Amino acid sequence: MRKTLIRIFTIADYEEEEIWLRGQHKKGWKLVKMTPPMFYTFESCEPEDVIYRLDFKNTERPEGYFQMLKDFGWEYFAQCFGWLYFRKPASAAETAEEGELFSDNESRVDLVSHVVKTRLLPLAIVFLCCVIPNFARVFTGSYVGAFGLFWGILFAVLFVLYVVLIIHCGTKLKRIRDKYRTGMDG
Amino acid sequence: MEDRLKRIYVPMTESGFYILYCLQTPQHGYGISQQVKRMSGGAVVISAGTMYGTLSKMEKDGLIRFYCEEEKRKLYQITDLGREILDIEIRRIERLYKNSKGEDIDA
Repeated sequence: MRKTLIRIFTIADYEEEEIWLRGQHKKGWKLVKMTPPMFYTFESCEPEDVIYRLDFKNTERPEGYFQMLKDFGWEYFAQCFGWLYFRKPASAAETAEEGELFSDNESRVDLVSHVVKTRLLPLAIVFLCCVIPNFARVFTGSYVGAFGLFWGILFAVLFVLYVVLIIHCGTKLKRIRDKYRTGMDG
Repeated sequence: MEDRLKRIYVPMTESGFYILYCLQTPQHGYGISQQVKRMSGGAVVISAGTMYGTLSKMEKDGLIRFYCEEEKRKLYQITDLGREILDIEIRRIERLYKNSKGEDIDA
């Protein structure tokens, strides 16, 4: 049996997403497919405690990377917008670190920085260079007629959406980074 | 040695030190993690992503080099530069250890 759920996780919510997926598997639903942007297809299975982890690699993904994760017992099974999905039965992790993709704060901070640089920054650029100028035209009276109204509303909605998203992701990613930075000695 | 490398690797993270130390003999990532776990009595366990990231960075910075490939797994080995940095770290740790026992270092 299969089911598809719609769930929104932003680029700053990957830790919550891992917990949610683990909870689904515990209830007997294993994730089999991710369809961008937010469709999760599950298949019924034996309820089991399986650890889910996400890594973000939107640039290079050499063969050696997947081989190494496999060596460490991680099953790679899906990807979505540069996010790679891995899982491993909790029973296979003897220590807490074996249930994690990252065992030191330096590498956890590296992941956050990479997300900020390649995801949050482009989002902010689109907002500044496209959404704001088009939204501003509402006030200069550039949009006329029914078609103009449509564009006006569209950019007003986009404006609000971008503001909410950028504030949410920006503050949350900063919080995650600070959480791991305070644990660093260097 | 470049100042940039000194800033990054002296002192280095615990994982970094163990990885560099183990690469005095050629090995792949998973082999290193097993060796570290064994030699530290289970106290130090390096995860997959941290291992991959550290190896990539050290290779880029010239501390280690690609040795050969075995069944899709890349084996790495320490370079002269890596050896130099490892020695600096070992001397630093020895000093820490002596000082922690209340011994002074002769200038």
